[in-house]
Amino acid sequence: MKEITKPAIILLVITAIAAALLGIIQSVTAGPIAEKSAATQAAAMQEVFPDAVSFEEMTDAELTGTISAVAAAKDGSGADAGYVITVNPSGFGGVVKTMVGVSADGTVTGISILSLSETPGLGARATEPEFAAEFVGKSGTLAVNKDGGEITAITSATITSRAVTSGVNEALAWVAENGGAN
Amino acid sequence: MANPLKIIKNGIIDENPTFVQVIGMCPTLAVTSSAINGLGMGVSTAAVLICANVVIALIRNFIPDKIRIPAFVVVIASFVTIVDFILQAYAPTSLYNALGLYIPLIVVNCIILGRAEAFASKNNAIDSFFDGVGQGLGFTIALCVLGLVREFLGSGTAFGIRILPEAFPQTLILIMAPGAFFTLGMLMALFNYVKNNKKA
Repeated sequence: MKEITKPAIILLVITAIAAALLGIIQSVTAGPIAEKSAATQAAAMQEVFPDAVSFEEMTDAELTGTISAVAAAKDGSGADAGYVITVNPSGFGGVVKTMVGVSADGTVTGISILSLSETPGLGARATEPEFAAEFVGKSGTLAVNKDGGEITAITSATITSRAVTSGVNEALAWVAENGGAN
Repeated sequence: MANPLKIIKNGIIDENPTFVQVIGMCPTLAVTSSAINGLGMGVSTAAVLICANVVIALIRNFIPDKIRIPAFVVVIASFVTIVDFILQAYAPTSLYNALGLYIPLIVVNCIILGRAEAFASKNNAIDSFFDGVGQGLGFTIALCVLGLVREFLGSGTAFGIRILPEAFPQTLILIMAPGAFFTLGMLMALFNYVKNNKKA
């Protein structure tokens, strides 16, 4: 009996100490982590919509397809200048969470990839600024060059490029449907 | 007590985790598509390895043989989680974004469990610390070189800085999965050739 209980108790002690330590570290770092993620969020919105002065989360927006969040981009006078839409299209290795800025007239003002699990060195290169720049100023329905469109796909990462493009299309379609009227 | 320098040299050359022991292959093959990824993975692994080695050496006499593996895994996983939290909270966002993906991979890196079994559970904390430094450096150097070779030939850059002109044909296969095997095989052969020649 002792041969079972003794190791079990020791293991319990070790895991309890580990859990307590992790709890402490988690509570210490939770604040800075939340702050940083909020700051990153704001910076990302600014990046995809450089002309906007402030952003306001639209909690009552109708979320269609893979759209997970919509924020209204306000100009200096507080009027809606456009939208920042978060889409989650599926890429090669999982969801490619992308933030798309769309002005009220239906033009892409910028995109930013928030998270992805694509192949490092290939699909993951979608986060490079050159690829994001492909979308700026475009409107309507977009497609990658392999499909006869105007977006130059990332070398050997057509699936990822298509995923991002389809996400941008969703955002554009959302604005065509729900926005632009004001 | 063994000579610290000897333990470190042992980790980098005689028992290099990648080129000689051939362990920890999963992160080695998966993340070395660029030099900076290799460096990041190497440094994070080394940090966890050093911490885990020291703690395991300190508690080695309290752990009954039967539960040593679960005990080691708990210690290692805790350190990995702590490193993850700290990097997430205090490291620059760009650095965390580059490394974040690989940090959880460290838990299953058999170098760490391997060193805990082979070294830290049999030696004192100070020696184990130097063993962690040596093995960690050996792993970091191997990953860095592997990443550098693949990045240089595959995308014509080194640490993200363009070296070869754009027009120079890029061997794309090297930054894809098969390239990891090719490069690793070549480097391993070269490393052992040089090492064995020195000995003779």
